[in-house]
Amino acid sequence: MAKISSMMDIGKRSMMNSQTALQTVSHNIANKSTEGYSRQRVDLVTAPPIVEGNLQLGMGNRAASVSRTNNPYLEKQLQKEQGMMGFHEGRATALSRVEEVFNEQMNKGLNQYVTDFFNAFRELSNNPESTTTRSMVFEAGDALTKDFARVDHQLEEISKDLDERVKNELQEINKMSTEIAVLNEKITQVEVQGIPANDQRDRRDLLLKKLNEKIDIKWGESDTGIVNVSTAGNAILVSGYDSYQLNQHADPKTGRTRVYYKPNESTPPFDITERIHGGSIGGALDVRDNTIVEMKGQIDSLAYNLADQVNRAHIEGFDRNGRQGVNFFDFMINPNDASKMIKVNNDIKGDLNKVAAASKPGAVGDNTVANVISQIQYKEIMEGGTSTVDDFYNSQVGKIGVISQRAVKSKESQGNIVNQLSTIRESISGVSLDEETTKMIEFQRAFDASARVIKTADEMFETVLSLKRL
Amino acid sequence: MRIADKMAYNQVTNNLQKNRSEMSDLQNQAATQKRINKPSDDPTASARVLASRTEERGSAQFIKNINIARSFLEYSDQSLSELSETLMRAKELAIGQANDAGASEETRRVSASEVEQMYNQSVQVGNRKLGERYIFAGYKTTNTPFDVSGEYKGDDGAMKIQINKDAFVAMNISGDKVFLGKGISSDGQIRQSPNVPKDTAELQKMKVEEQQRVERNQEMNDEPMALRTPASTPRPDSGKPFVSVPDSETKGVNVLKVLKDFEIALRVNDKDAIQMAIDEVDAALSQVVNARAQVGSRIMALNAATDSLQKAIVDNKTTASQLEDVDLFQVVSDINKTDSTLKATLETSGKVTNMSLLDFLR
Repeated sequence: MAKISSMMDIGKRSMMNSQTALQTVSHNIANKSTEGYSRQRVDLVTAPPIVEGNLQLGMGNRAASVSRTNNPYLEKQLQKEQGMMGFHEGRATALSRVEEVFNEQMNKGLNQYVTDFFNAFRELSNNPESTTTRSMVFEAGDALTKDFARVDHQLEEISKDLDERVKNELQEINKMSTEIAVLNEKITQVEVQGIPANDQRDRRDLLLKKLNEKIDIKWGESDTGIVNVSTAGNAILVSGYDSYQLNQHADPKTGRTRVYYKPNESTPPFDITERIHGGSIGGALDVRDNTIVEMKGQIDSLAYNLADQVNRAHIEGFDRNGRQGVNFFDFMINPNDASKMIKVNNDIKGDLNKVAAASKPGAVGDNTVANVISQIQYKEIMEGGTSTVDDFYNSQVGKIGVISQRAVKSKESQGNIVNQLSTIRESISGVSLDEETTKMIEFQRAFDASARVIKTADEMFETVLSLKRL
Repeated sequence: MRIADKMAYNQVTNNLQKNRSEMSDLQNQAATQKRINKPSDDPTASARVLASRTEERGSAQFIKNINIARSFLEYSDQSLSELSETLMRAKELAIGQANDAGASEETRRVSASEVEQMYNQSVQVGNRKLGERYIFAGYKTTNTPFDVSGEYKGDDGAMKIQINKDAFVAMNISGDKVFLGKGISSDGQIRQSPNVPKDTAELQKMKVEEQQRVERNQEMNDEPMALRTPASTPRPDSGKPFVSVPDSETKGVNVLKVLKDFEIALRVNDKDAIQMAIDEVDAALSQVVNARAQVGSRIMALNAATDSLQKAIVDNKTTASQLEDVDLFQVVSDINKTDSTLKATLETSGKVTNMSLLDFLR
């Protein structure tokens, strides 16, 4: 009789365990598309056997635990590579916009406006008596200054856009830090009982990856399953069950968004902008604070030197009415913001005869100064007298092209690495419907068979009980 | 390898993405006919494209400059040819009227009127205008260079026109050189430097030198220094005021004054003076012819420059085109290739995602 009840018992437990396994299968199927999900398995082990005389009898199975199939080292590697990916992606997107500012394949840009400007002076030299050529010179100068302003404005717009991007990313970072701290608590609460907190761990792994995509983080896991996250050197984002927020303020001088970290109420917030080197924020900041600032500086120095050289020659000249020349462009003290400030002198705008072509008064046909100014185009006035205006500008365009090209290439190759790693990760942790379907059939059959065992045991009971009636 | 469902989907997405972006790149190239649509497509090439565009625009401008200079010079040439014809006729008259064999006081008076006409004609030539500009006035192109008395009001400015990156050609020949013979001989006149200042420093230097030069020339004009050459010594026998006597070929003469003197000589029936006028007119003629030769050689230089500039434009266009234009056949064939790849990807993707064990369990 004891054997029959054991059979019943084993059958019952087996049915329960099959249900557990089927529930896990359905959990897997349901989370087939959940990002960061690792497939789960019920670890079935044999129940402790009993010994009867010299026989050891198996007592069926039991569900030891539900575990996830996951390779923590791979996850960590993937997380690192995804961080790089975020950085390169942030840079490449921003750089492709910077590059557009200097794209003259489709539109007129500085290269052409500079040539037009000097060609206008050549026209003036052809016909120094004319007011028409003078208005051409003014128009060309005006168009040139406007294009300098356009470049400056567009670079500024991109910087502002990157500011916005940094702000948005910070909000998400803060949200994720908070969630990680909450997950820390949940995981320890579950795992203190010796039960693996599969779903929460998956979620936390995913958040760490996403977080690293946005900003470079360092993290470590304690024995109790808590991860502590820090960024930008020693700014702690998550410590135990607590999370700390990153803030942003606009720099009062430049208007650029700066990232601040405030560890607690009593400490003043400190600026960690310079220390962020990774993730999409790092990429955006790199372009904003290095590439754009540098490009702007170069274009400013171009505008400044050009205006300066033209002015120097122009004030040496004499205008159509024999008056001493004035500055052609408004005087600028230094190259700071020169591309924004460069303007044709208002005196000239008001009186086009003030465009000076002659080297002496009373000689309207004298075109010496117009010739001197038009020659500035071929003079090495940039980079300490080593390159011409055209060479300098063209090499800047080439430079931004190279930077952008390299960023896109890095993004692509990094994307390939991430793809490969993700494929490996999915291969290990991803859900396969075929597999789950098979499992489903397997456990359904086990369930059926176990039921049959119970039925058989019941029939056996029946037989035993009917003995007396006979 | 264990295949999870997500892998297949990811792969499909990635492959399609890759094919599509390749396709979009190619289509963009086909639509714009350009291989380079932004600097990063080929940074070195795009910088070079910019450079050759600048060159091309520069060359086009230089051709424009040259055309203006050429019309100026051609008109000068034409005017000088008229002037030399006039002087030729004057020379014939002088030879005819120099002796009593075929001439008399009567014929000389008639000739005098003709010479007066020639004088007026020559002044007119000196006041020739192209558009709104006097061509023989030096820099003072808006002022009439010669008044009725033959006084020169212009200056000796040479309007230099840029014909390539580092060469300039003067597009005018000033009246004082052609008509007054200033500065072409040892008359102490210094002519303007043929160079164009390259920068502001040179410009400043030039301005100082120019001022000194003008002052010195003025001094020389006010009291002509008796230079120690035989040619400049006034003839003791003529008893007339100093005129630039064409003793040597290098000596400049005042064309208008020569004609005026000739006319006076005819009117007063001064045979000696008429005799002398033959040489003087001859000198004036050679002075004009010399000037014409100068103009002609400049026109030739301009023509040569035009040819090389036109070639440069074509070269630069070709360079830019080679760098930035697509090879259309290549693009079309690439598009076809990518298109079939895309189709294959789509087809296989459809199959991969459709297949499931579930379909076979009924």
